[in-house]
Amino acid sequence: MHKVNLLPRLRNYGVRSLLYMLLTVGAVVALFPFAWMLLTSLKTYGEHSTRVFWPKALTTLPYSDLPRGREIVVDLYPPAEEWGGAPSSALPLLEGRILIDRVTAPVQEQLTREGLSPPFWIMILAADTDSEVEGYDTFYYNVNTRVIQQETVRVNWRAKRFLFFHFIQKENWKAPYFLSAPDMERWGPQLVIRDNDPDHFAVRVTWQPVTMFFFNFITGWVESDFGRYMWNSIRLTLIQLVGVVTFSTLAAYAFARMEFPGKNGIFAVFLATLMLPEVVTLVPNFSIVIQLDRFFERVLGIENAWLNNWTALTVPFMASAFSIFLLRQFFAQIPKDLHDAALIDGCGHLRFLLQVVLPLSKAPLMSIILLNGIGSWNAFLWPLIVTTRNTWRPITVGLSKFIEESAAEVHLMMAGATITIIPILILYFFTQKQFTEGIATTGLKG
Amino acid sequence: MPGSTRGTDGFKASKGMSAQKRREALQAYLFLAPATILLFVFGILPVGYAFFISLHQWRIQRGAFTGLRNYGRLLGSPLNLLLLAAGIGMLIGAYYVWRSIATQPAGWRTRLRIALAALLIIGGLTLVLGMDRALAAAAEERMTMGYLLSVLRTVFYSAGTVPFQLILAFLLANLLFQKIRGRSLFRMLYFLPYITPTVATAAVWTTVFEPRRGLLNTILMQIFHMSESNLPRWIFDSTGIVPLMGQWLGLSLPDWVAASPILSGPSLAMIAVCIYNIWVFTGYNTVIFLAGLGAIPYELYEAARIDGAGRWQLLRHVTLPLVSPTTYFLTMMGVIGTFKAINHIYIMTQMVGLGGPQDSTTTAAIFIFKQFREGNRWGVASAAALTLLGIILLLTWIQDRMAEGRVHYA
Repeated sequence: MHKVNLLPRLRNYGVRSLLYMLLTVGAVVALFPFAWMLLTSLKTYGEHSTRVFWPKALTTLPYSDLPRGREIVVDLYPPAEEWGGAPSSALPLLEGRILIDRVTAPVQEQLTREGLSPPFWIMILAADTDSEVEGYDTFYYNVNTRVIQQETVRVNWRAKRFLFFHFIQKENWKAPYFLSAPDMERWGPQLVIRDNDPDHFAVRVTWQPVTMFFFNFITGWVESDFGRYMWNSIRLTLIQLVGVVTFSTLAAYAFARMEFPGKNGIFAVFLATLMLPEVVTLVPNFSIVIQLDRFFERVLGIENAWLNNWTALTVPFMASAFSIFLLRQFFAQIPKDLHDAALIDGCGHLRFLLQVVLPLSKAPLMSIILLNGIGSWNAFLWPLIVTTRNTWRPITVGLSKFIEESAAEVHLMMAGATITIIPILILYFFTQKQFTEGIATTGLKG
Repeated sequence: MPGSTRGTDGFKASKGMSAQKRREALQAYLFLAPATILLFVFGILPVGYAFFISLHQWRIQRGAFTGLRNYGRLLGSPLNLLLLAAGIGMLIGAYYVWRSIATQPAGWRTRLRIALAALLIIGGLTLVLGMDRALAAAAEERMTMGYLLSVLRTVFYSAGTVPFQLILAFLLANLLFQKIRGRSLFRMLYFLPYITPTVATAAVWTTVFEPRRGLLNTILMQIFHMSESNLPRWIFDSTGIVPLMGQWLGLSLPDWVAASPILSGPSLAMIAVCIYNIWVFTGYNTVIFLAGLGAIPYELYEAARIDGAGRWQLLRHVTLPLVSPTTYFLTMMGVIGTFKAINHIYIMTQMVGLGGPQDSTTTAAIFIFKQFREGNRWGVASAAALTLLGIILLLTWIQDRMAEGRVHYA
């Protein structure tokens, strides 16, 4: 008896494991770009360009046995004579030195390669902040009188976070050594200026594992104003959602529950707009928005009422024929008796809609919110065209600008991509059931 | 407005009711007003406005009225167009003759029909290929500004994505439809590429395809031991896939194959874009297929099994026909999607110039965008956009006709 049953069972197991294997292959294909993105976003520039697969940040090496942080006062004095090779406008006004006597393992590796070992000095430069580009300063590293490296560094004085590690030298300060800058910046000490006085800095020298780990994200965030973009995207999505939900419910209710002449005709026109690809209406819509902008400026005296403002970014998408269609289908299913009973109680359409229909339609409303929310967050082409400044530029456009600027720094690019994806991922993981089911039954992106 | 319509249409009821109905109609118009105004201003008006723009020389500001000249600049000489249309028409005709043969009994008529169909196919192909020459010539003289070429690339793009993502999705959906654990987990994972922002995922894929440090070429090099000089250059390569395959296989293809935009096929850069597209939409298609499979009544399978149908027959004669509305919907969405795709091509070709290299990923939508943004030729862009809309509507109609009798609504 047992022998007879064993074979089909074994075959069944074989089939099932093949099934799971194929499904897993599918999942791996769907996910590997994300894994690549995360891995790359944790690498240093050197790791990516030497095709290292597993970033050092994901090992324990950099975080074990970290030196203790301390707060020190750096005396500043006029620059030494050897600085003379650089153009005078770029001269640091003052300079000081910080002694580093212990380092992390990756930095030790670097130092060994250069034939160095701690202790060494870090130059700290109090530079001229009134240069051509505000907030940026050009530094010249020179040996004796020869300029050997030039670098533009962002100095954020207001935040008092002046990080500067490139210039490392032994006690004999006329012989500077240049370590691989990105690695040093990441694994080296973080210098935070607590207080800057005319003649001294109070500097906090720390080795923070969190900063080391998320270094690319922090750099990307600071370099590309991601905070602003993120906030813009959140604002825009919320504004658009309020508009879409309000206008769609009203219109859908009218189509589902009210009688008026021309109902079918108007509904057909609404549905026809679903066929229009964005690229067809791109040019005329841009022209319309420009003219609206001019009209508001001339007649109402409001400058930039449309361009570079939330209006141009959200208002055209507040009427979504698809959302109206979806809601109408649902509203039409609500029993008519309910409405008649409410009418007898003297309840008008608006009150009926707000107090009876809406509480019953949580599921389709959720679908609409998710679809339009994702659509708004992911929107790219239109925001790219109607924004020229950062004031309302959403994160997708910000990311594309960042990609343009950091084309060579793939690790930063991937950190930016991760930042853009994370809010959507969080939303998706919490609502994925409504989501996949909503899309399966409706079948469209917002 | 409600006052003037008293006594017509829906207002034939008694006077008391009519006042109430009028009130209701007024309220309905109020409810509809915001959505209608917005849809009119940003959805319907733009189509007419685009036509108006397309009739002018329009560079940010309105210029001279030029009539249909913009369309002429896009589509080339009327003769070329006519040839193309005739070629396509003959192909469609051949298809219909072919279909009518299937229903006819065997005999000399059938043979005649087969000969006719073959003739039509040859004729159509010749015309399209002849067009191909005309295209190349026109592109050289910059007559058509490459619009027809961009439409051709869009066709390549559709053909290189839609069938693959449909087949893969159908397989995955069938696997997921078995009694397995973790179905919702798999579904969630497959869906991930679709909901994440295009800009971000396209950026990731750009680095995956990057020829020197990218993941794909690193794998080819380190695991498959390909030499660095042989590695495909993906987004940077504008060579057609046919000559490229010839190179890899060591065949020497005649020059006119590589010179012909149709015969040389999509460029390797376009293939990279296609792969990205398949990656994004396979999961989405899977989820929709899954819903379609769930809608098939279980009794049908039972009945077929009692009649002695095997697994394959169940798939062929029950699942495939009954899932055909979903297939049809996804084909439509896929094809239209490729016709309006801009975002990911914009990001993926940012390094080589939008629509690059050498315009080899400039699809019709990208063409419009480039005319609009880089060329500031709004008139031309609008003409191209309306032509594209026409093509999309035509495609929808053709697909609708082809689907007739093949899509089974259970």
